[in-house]
Amino acid sequence: MDNGRKRGRTPLRFGVLGILLVGCLLLATIVGALALGGDDEPARNPGDAIVYGLTLNPSGFDPHIHQSSELGIPFFSVYDTLVYRHPQTLEFVPGLAERWEMAPDGLSWTFFLKQNVRFHDGTEFNAAAVAANLDRIMNPDVGSQKARVLLDAYTGYEIVDPYTITLRVSQPYAPLLDALSQVYLGIASPAALKANTNNSYQWHQVGTGPYKLDEFVPGRLIRLIRNEDYNWGPVFYAPVVDDSLDTIEFRFYTDPATRSLALESGEVDVVGELLPTDAELLAGNVEVDVHQVPVPGTPQQFFFNTRHAPLDSMTVRQALLYGTNRTEIVDAVYQGRSPIAHGPLTSTVMYYDPAVEQMYPFDLDQARALLASQGLADTDNDGILEWEGEPLELTVVFGPWNQMPDVAQLIQSQWRELGIDVELIQVPDFPSLRQRVRDDDYDVISFYDFGVDPSILNRFYFSGAVNNWSGFSDPQLDQTLYEAMRQTNSDARRTLYSAAQIRIMEQALVLPIREYVNLVGVSSDLDGVVFSAQGWWPLLRNFQLTR
Amino acid sequence: MALVVVWLAGSAAFLALRVAPGDAVDATMARVGASDEQIAAQRAALGLDDPLPIQYARYWADTVRGRWGASLVNGQPVTELIAQNARPTVTLALAAMVIALALGVTLGVMDGLERPAGLHWVAGGLASLALAAPVYWTATLAIYAFTVAIALFPGVGAESPAALILPALVLGFHASGSIARVTAASVREAARGDFVRTARAKGLPERDVIDHILRVGLLPVVSVAALQAGFLLGGTVITEMIFVRRGLGQVLLTAVTNRDYPVVQGLVVLAALVYTALNAGADALNFRLDPRTHRAE
Amino acid sequence: MRRNRIQTAVALAIGGLVVALSLLAPLLATHDPRATSPDAQLEPPSRSHLFGTDLLGRDVFSRVLYGGRRTLGVALLSALVMLAPGLLIGMVAGFAGGWLDTALMTALDAMLAVPPLVLALALVALFGSGSVQIAVAVGIAGIPSYGRVARAVVLEARNRPYVEAARAIGARPAGILRRHILPTIAPTLLAFAGVTLSWAILNSAALIFLGFGGDISAPDWGVMLADGRQAFRTAPWVALAPGIALSATVLAINWLADSAVSR
Repeated sequence: MDNGRKRGRTPLRFGVLGILLVGCLLLATIVGALALGGDDEPARNPGDAIVYGLTLNPSGFDPHIHQSSELGIPFFSVYDTLVYRHPQTLEFVPGLAERWEMAPDGLSWTFFLKQNVRFHDGTEFNAAAVAANLDRIMNPDVGSQKARVLLDAYTGYEIVDPYTITLRVSQPYAPLLDALSQVYLGIASPAALKANTNNSYQWHQVGTGPYKLDEFVPGRLIRLIRNEDYNWGPVFYAPVVDDSLDTIEFRFYTDPATRSLALESGEVDVVGELLPTDAELLAGNVEVDVHQVPVPGTPQQFFFNTRHAPLDSMTVRQALLYGTNRTEIVDAVYQGRSPIAHGPLTSTVMYYDPAVEQMYPFDLDQARALLASQGLADTDNDGILEWEGEPLELTVVFGPWNQMPDVAQLIQSQWRELGIDVELIQVPDFPSLRQRVRDDDYDVISFYDFGVDPSILNRFYFSGAVNNWSGFSDPQLDQTLYEAMRQTNSDARRTLYSAAQIRIMEQALVLPIREYVNLVGVSSDLDGVVFSAQGWWPLLRNFQLTR
Repeated sequence: MALVVVWLAGSAAFLALRVAPGDAVDATMARVGASDEQIAAQRAALGLDDPLPIQYARYWADTVRGRWGASLVNGQPVTELIAQNARPTVTLALAAMVIALALGVTLGVMDGLERPAGLHWVAGGLASLALAAPVYWTATLAIYAFTVAIALFPGVGAESPAALILPALVLGFHASGSIARVTAASVREAARGDFVRTARAKGLPERDVIDHILRVGLLPVVSVAALQAGFLLGGTVITEMIFVRRGLGQVLLTAVTNRDYPVVQGLVVLAALVYTALNAGADALNFRLDPRTHRAE
Repeated sequence: MRRNRIQTAVALAIGGLVVALSLLAPLLATHDPRATSPDAQLEPPSRSHLFGTDLLGRDVFSRVLYGGRRTLGVALLSALVMLAPGLLIGMVAGFAGGWLDTALMTALDAMLAVPPLVLALALVALFGSGSVQIAVAVGIAGIPSYGRVARAVVLEARNRPYVEAARAIGARPAGILRRHILPTIAPTLLAFAGVTLSWAILNSAALIFLGFGGDISAPDWGVMLADGRQAFRTAPWVALAPGIALSATVLAINWLADSAVSR
């Protein structure tokens, strides 16, 4: 009976495994269909084309609206700005404006625009175009994050004639030209702006620059192709030659550890923000060059929360500055590939005062003496200083970017030598960082920003400024910074910013670590790799592909 | 039922996001030093400062109507964002699933039946290895070994179908681990059943004995596989990041970092729908394969 | 069977070694696991540094020893959070059936649908960053999967003839559960428990990799693995040591789970 039944039954070994096999084959076919019939893969264009790796996928790519410096990497070349900063001399050179004048009272600036300039869509560039752009940036509905902040004291414009426009400011405003030289103030085609919504424009950007936006697939690809009509560039743009790039494709490489691998496998021709250890490794590779590109701005730094004792004591803060061995940090974490920072600004920022370099050499004895002078002593011999009866513990908060965790761990070790316990708090993202600020839940916090004009100090050091995370309020500093912003005379600004930098360091409001250096890996086939004055943005116009 | 799942999941995500520190405006404007007024204005415009119950009600009213909102950060409609990024993720997950099933069941059956003699240890070992190493590690090693050291596959960031192979292998390998182990245990247990002893005692050919063992032993595979499918879709977050592949994982990560509520909520609702479908499918398959499970109480 | 005995023996040996080394870490460690020494960064294994040093010059050997405590602790906590509720829910659902089953499964599905990332974020927001928070987040994220498997297995066992027979005679559900169902499902559940433990270890590592770790300077295998990626081509030992430790531990756990089955 049993035998009969079993013989009649299908051998389920094949049945069960068979089902699985069929299932797998079915899935595999579906996969194949999806992968192969995939959406139009952009074929590698003929001609001189490179792949450029972006390291961060920012929340948006519209220069007028969004604030990430990453967006400028492709889009700096899609737009022209009214003025440019020369990458070497840092002086302002003509861009879309062939010359400009400031009124004697400093309350208005008149720009005389170049003629015979066309946008990529064929429309004409003129004063009305500039006006349309300014309107867009200042429109609260647009929600501009950086461009509008940069314009600060700007109040409005006046079109004098088709190629002349005057910008008005509420008070003399020295950083105006600097603002106008950044990609965030790139001039877009009003026709294109009108043809798109505020949100869709970022994927159909039209400027006057040496490259046009050809295709933009969010999160995956940005393709630029050369603008053949371009002949109105700033003086530092190279002329077009055989080896100039026809096409540039941008892809996103957000994981640091695989950037060098992509470079070595040849899948990408340029990628920035290489890990310092990878840069060391690539030094020996003949197919890849590593460029060290300084980025001006504030250094990578930590602010002291002056509202929390004992950091409310200037002497204690100074002690911490003396007690931090920055050379050790830069050598270990950044493989010595960055200059050590000494002040609130990097040495490549305008009006940097080298005097700050002498202010806090690494001196453990001095640090200990200063701490002792404030009544901090190790009364119970446990290696930790006591402050008002309690062991001294400081909370250091930072994000995961730019090797800050490694820096923080070294600081923890170093300050342990001074007898200070450090609690390390790594937050995963920027909103979490801000939350800790709102909760006033930090003693030392990492925060920095980039820019060539020293007015970037304002947002960190003005009393009551949103990003004044040291909580320090100094009318004298306020006055200095305010004046320096109004002064258009270069020497006057220099004097004022010197005073500001020295005052900030005297008060020991910030612990500078290193000047930001972008380690950019470049295929050795690529020549002419230079970056803009602001450091982040490549001058794609000058790149030449020799293969 | 699917609706309840979706509702629960969406609400959970809604709460979790609101509880997390900061919001989209923090992630963007505040970083650059926009003034307090500008920040407040932006918050109001986005409806972020309305009382929580109102936001909640508004959210569900819109979702049900198919209006899944737009990204708080760049205004792109959520549905469009998902549509653009779904294909690569689904392709990767399916490919990994194929590999996971094939590899997992093979290893599991080998290990469970303990044949071929001696080699089954290797099978068990491989399964354990798949479970023991973090994905980001095998991924990095694989990339180094097969795109740089030996240029077998296109490097990270390539778009071709060939670029699917390595990430699918890595992800599939890891997913196969739990399938293999559960299969092995289940098969081994089935092999110990009384009916096996009886069948052997009766002199049934070994092949048929194995039939029976597998028929029972492979049942949990369906459930585990359905679960793994779920985990695969989630596991693509790290894989996509490392292999530089576009996809929903990367969208999720960016959205969470930016507290982009509508995007995250949209993805959660989508995931809820997918999981429900998968589990229903798994249940149906279980039902079909083992008539015993649906015996009425 | 001889093979299983060898397997069990090896697993016990490895497991015992890991536990012993972790407990004895203070005695065996050659250096303070947190002591940085940047001048001596990325040194290969030598007599003074058995496993070499990492990017900040810390002794890898000592860190692996101390790391075991942390990693194992987190994994156990995580597994506990995952297993207890998962098992309970799964068994109740499978055994009871009907509306209770549907309700519980729906709840579990909803939990599965929330990405662990979002869950982790919320927990970190409520309770701060840290290994404990990660452990709990991973644990909670794992409940639905364990619950589902538990339920599937219970369902399968419940409908076996001898169970039906037992119910026909009128045996109490609790009795049936204990005497018939539990022994049947125990093997698969144990196996999956092993899987969940490993899953817990790895997912914690993944969350750490994504930046949700707490005390980043504390020695922890997951953290060491994530960091070790950065220098893996110039200094592979930084990640190799914790990697081997981790894999060996997971292997041992799984083999022990197997041997619990073969009785």
